[in-house]
Amino acid sequence: MKDVFDKALLAPLEYLGGQVLAVLPNVLAMGIIVGVGLVAAWTLGHAVERLLRVMRLDELCNRLGVNAALARGGVKTDPSRIVGRTAYWMVVAFAVIAGLGALNLQPINRFAQSFLAYIPHALTGGVILVAGYLLSNFISQGVLIAAVNAGLPPARLIANMARWGVQLFALAMALEELGIAQSVVIVGFGITFGGVVFATCLAFGLGAKDLAKDYLERTLSNRPRDRAPDDLRHL
Amino acid sequence: MGSDAIEATSSSRQQKSPVALTPETESRVQAIGEAEILVGIPSYNNADTIGHVVQAVSAGLAKYFPGRRAVLVNSDGGSSDGTPEAVSRAVVDFSALLVSDHQSALQKIITPYHGIPGKGSAFRTVFEIARRLKAKACAVVDSDLRSITPEWIELLLRPVLDEKYDYVAPYYLRHKYDGTITNSIVYPLTRALYGHRVRQPIGGDFGFSGRLTEHYLDQHVWESDVARFGIDIWMTTEAIASGARVCQSFLGAKIHNPKDPASDLAAMLMQVLGAVFALMEEHDRVWLNRKESMPMKLFGFQYEVGVEPVNVNVERMIAAFQLGLEDLAPIWEQILGREIVAELLPLRTAPHAEFRIADELWVRVVYEAAMAYHARVLPREHLLKALTPLYLGRTATFVLETQGLTTAEAEGRIEQLCRVYESRKSYLVERWHGGPQA
Repeated sequence: MKDVFDKALLAPLEYLGGQVLAVLPNVLAMGIIVGVGLVAAWTLGHAVERLLRVMRLDELCNRLGVNAALARGGVKTDPSRIVGRTAYWMVVAFAVIAGLGALNLQPINRFAQSFLAYIPHALTGGVILVAGYLLSNFISQGVLIAAVNAGLPPARLIANMARWGVQLFALAMALEELGIAQSVVIVGFGITFGGVVFATCLAFGLGAKDLAKDYLERTLSNRPRDRAPDDLRHL
Repeated sequence: MGSDAIEATSSSRQQKSPVALTPETESRVQAIGEAEILVGIPSYNNADTIGHVVQAVSAGLAKYFPGRRAVLVNSDGGSSDGTPEAVSRAVVDFSALLVSDHQSALQKIITPYHGIPGKGSAFRTVFEIARRLKAKACAVVDSDLRSITPEWIELLLRPVLDEKYDYVAPYYLRHKYDGTITNSIVYPLTRALYGHRVRQPIGGDFGFSGRLTEHYLDQHVWESDVARFGIDIWMTTEAIASGARVCQSFLGAKIHNPKDPASDLAAMLMQVLGAVFALMEEHDRVWLNRKESMPMKLFGFQYEVGVEPVNVNVERMIAAFQLGLEDLAPIWEQILGREIVAELLPLRTAPHAEFRIADELWVRVVYEAAMAYHARVLPREHLLKALTPLYLGRTATFVLETQGLTTAEAEGRIEQLCRVYESRKSYLVERWHGGPQA
């Protein structure tokens, strides 16, 4: 009876205890790493936020139209806090992965390696998206002003097309960087961009062929305008 | 303030290294040695007109400065139409001009200029040659002038040589609709800021002393936009800000080769306003404390002259303004503030006969634009180009208000606008360094 008791109950318990004792240092290490990581994340997040406020990032973003875009997307947090929180969560993610790595379990180690290898791509993709967004704002503003000064009534439409064109381009580049449906993105972007260019050419050719003819004739033959709008001399 | 008063301004980081000249020009300068008078003509593909300008300059020097050593410098930007050859070919029949005691052959230097292509770089080479020749008085005239006479040369140089002025600005008779950027922005703003009533601050033909030439050369601006464009307003403003003695000379009508009036107005406005606003930043210590303006001495016999008629399409200008108001209102709000844009909004539907941008509102627009430029609330090129429809709206207002007036009466309207600029200057001064908002 005692043998049965030893084999059926104590042996598994002993085995379990041994397992727990073997893993316990790793679990403790994980706890310490995650705990320290959380403190570091909180400190870094706040430090980054305060530094960016001192550097007046919010005012700069306001000028660049980033705040307005965030508000349009329902985000009421200011850019300094967003960057601070991003830094916080990045450190937390690192700490959790490092902590899980301390457990020394194969599946988790493989996941951590893949995750770490993916981070540069994710960062590059993020930078491309942000840069594309800022560039699209700048270009669309310039196009809008140029179109208004050229007296083109659909100025806003032209400016919006320029904005979406640049943003589409940036999105395609970011998705390619992230490795998401690469072939679909390339083909889709090629078809869309080519289609837009073709449609624009077609529209210009059909709708403004006289304007194009006049422009080319004036450019190639150095012929002045047939009739200037007025002969006001501004300087 | 005398000639001795030309001083280094806040911006003048001294740049003493000499400007590079070609070996041929160097040897010509060395051969000439010294000269009392120098007249510079910048050019680029002006073969059609430059001969007449050179003849007028030669006749003027022979007639009015017969005993002085004079040099004519053509600073060319790489013309492909034979402009330098036209300069060297141009000769004057002095007997036909009744010039009996003319000087010996006028020294000519025909040289290409180095640096960024533009009128500013051409002037820099002229200034450098003037410095090396130790010229006492210099003048620069445009190469596309058709109305230049020998008297221009006397009027631009005599105040420097005999009256000890440092800078002679031109005073032209112009049609009331000729020079609308000058009339609605540059002249009133320069006058209100710096307190000098220089009627044509971007005239293009100037006289100046050797001392002022040295001052110009020592400014660190020759790699900036001044080298490309904006040299005219820069020279005038720099002369005033440095404390030089400034006067004007009456030159009559200015007729020059027509440029395509529909050529990019936005780019033109950007260049001129960009230069004016940049100079405001540069010299804010000078203008922030100046309160009133004073008239400038005007040399020359004044007479009436028929000016070329100017056709104006007011409807097109109002349509351009209204399109701007429709599409650029959010950008204008960033530049000018909501209050000013709200005051402009009723003009969206105003009948053409009643379309008006009042003087007071226009002055606030210009001052707010200058402050927005200073504070960099937008990329500067966008900011300046976005003002084009506003400028056209103001020009339409001026045309509508002065339709039945003579040129002299229209000048009275410009004087009225200048007084508003001056009376509202405190608005600008208070806010320039981030003071209270309206």
